[in-house]
Amino acid sequence: MTAHDVAPEVAPEVAPEVAPAPESFRPGELEIEPDGTGHLLGSRCRSCGAHFFPIRQACSGCLSSDLETVRLTGSGTVYTYTVIRQSTPAFAVPYALGYVDLPEGVRVMGQIAAEPDDLAIGMEVELAVEPFGTDGDGNPVLGYRFRPEVTS
Amino acid sequence: MTDVYVLGVGMTQFGKHPDKTAADLGASSLTEAIADAGIDPRLVEAAYCGHVFQGMVTGQRILAQVGLAGLPLSNVENACSSGATAIREASLAIRAGEHDVVAAIGTEHLTNRFAGALTPDKSDPEAAVGATMPGVYAMRARRYMEEFGMTREQLAMVAVKNKQNAAMNPLAHFRKTITVDDVLASRPIADPLNLLDCSPVTDGSATAILVSGDVAERLGNGRAIRLAASTLRTGTVDVEPTSMTFEPLTRDTANDAFERAGVGPGDVDFAEVHDCFSIAEVLRVEGLGLFPQGEYPAAVERGEASLGGRLPVNPSGGLLGKGHPLGGTGVAQVVEVVRQLRGEAGDRQIEGARVGLAHCRGGKAVGIEGAACTVQILVK
Repeated sequence: MTAHDVAPEVAPEVAPEVAPAPESFRPGELEIEPDGTGHLLGSRCRSCGAHFFPIRQACSGCLSSDLETVRLTGSGTVYTYTVIRQSTPAFAVPYALGYVDLPEGVRVMGQIAAEPDDLAIGMEVELAVEPFGTDGDGNPVLGYRFRPEVTS
Repeated sequence: MTDVYVLGVGMTQFGKHPDKTAADLGASSLTEAIADAGIDPRLVEAAYCGHVFQGMVTGQRILAQVGLAGLPLSNVENACSSGATAIREASLAIRAGEHDVVAAIGTEHLTNRFAGALTPDKSDPEAAVGATMPGVYAMRARRYMEEFGMTREQLAMVAVKNKQNAAMNPLAHFRKTITVDDVLASRPIADPLNLLDCSPVTDGSATAILVSGDVAERLGNGRAIRLAASTLRTGTVDVEPTSMTFEPLTRDTANDAFERAGVGPGDVDFAEVHDCFSIAEVLRVEGLGLFPQGEYPAAVERGEASLGGRLPVNPSGGLLGKGHPLGGTGVAQVVEVVRQLRGEAGDRQIEGARVGLAHCRGGKAVGIEGAACTVQILVK
């Protein structure tokens, strides 16, 4: 018997049950900081500077495989949009969906948290980390939506 | 290299077939195509089967039903271009000199696989944020309206035209004509697209029997139609965001086909194009170079793409009217082209047609303009 096998006379303090913080719905695409903000992750070609989302294994411009993973700018311009009124059971309708052009020259699809009448091609939006349904085990996860940019 | 001909075609009724499987439907169209070719079934040397959601070895289940098990068969999946890809593979096997008679089958039993909006594969990052196929096309429609001033009514006229053609096609899923008001009043799916802007969930199969020039000459009885080109491309990955109102993938796949066939867009007498949504026909027809960019909606309004117009588009009724059994679609387009060129299209017959084109585009993968695009050019 070693000391480790001896039951402690006093039960250790049991940590209060805290649900683990929700994680990114797709960690390879959306990185979440401890403060709850997040970034989309993309690839930057070290050879020609082209950016891609999601992460690629080679650059489709110059075919270099010398790519680095970078955080993409979290604000951009709506290229086009729709309001989805029929979807899969995983998504409650209606919701706005758009393609957003980021300054790096990357077009990203995302939901847009805005009323249908407020949507417009060319509107400025920014990335927001938000509750985004559950994972396969039913645990809540975080995803991203674009929100109209607040001009101060 | 030998020329390739379509000697026989067959197609099931498109619609809902609750009592049949994809293999049942495939066996029916294959049997009809062999009979239409007028050949002994034992002459078929190989087969390709295009389908998307029908599970393992669907093609072999078809051969087992018709007594042709034993042949080399490959199942091919390229989303909505699966059947068209089967035709291309069959044509390559003949051009390579490996076979003289090959069956290209397309089949899909969709009504028992899913309902509602089709989505990209669930592994796709865009599917993960809520992309649906109608949604993606709706976004392209929105952008096209903004750039080219297409009206909502003009977009609806594409669906009205194709349903009108389908009403004359006994094998079409829908045989009821509709009005622009019907389209505008139908249930919203993804703004600005409504239900009648979307192709339906359909079961069906079609088969084409492809043969070498030598076999066409010996057994064709003058009914063989030359498959002058069958091309396939995958979309490129965007280095910079590109226009979503024009389709370089469609243009490039068509240019490959025009070059191979030795004809140009001006030689095309009619076309079957992949109108999975009303806006899709606009984008495709302009990508193919059949109408200048931005001008197709007004041309539809003037009746130029209707039967009797300058360049009929989707005389079969298209995916919107005839129905869209994913794997079956690309082969069914070729069935229509062959029947038109033979003069066997009944009420839909385009008089004097000599060159017909069929275009498919399937699949969505993040970052690329389109997944699989095919163009077939058939010449009388």
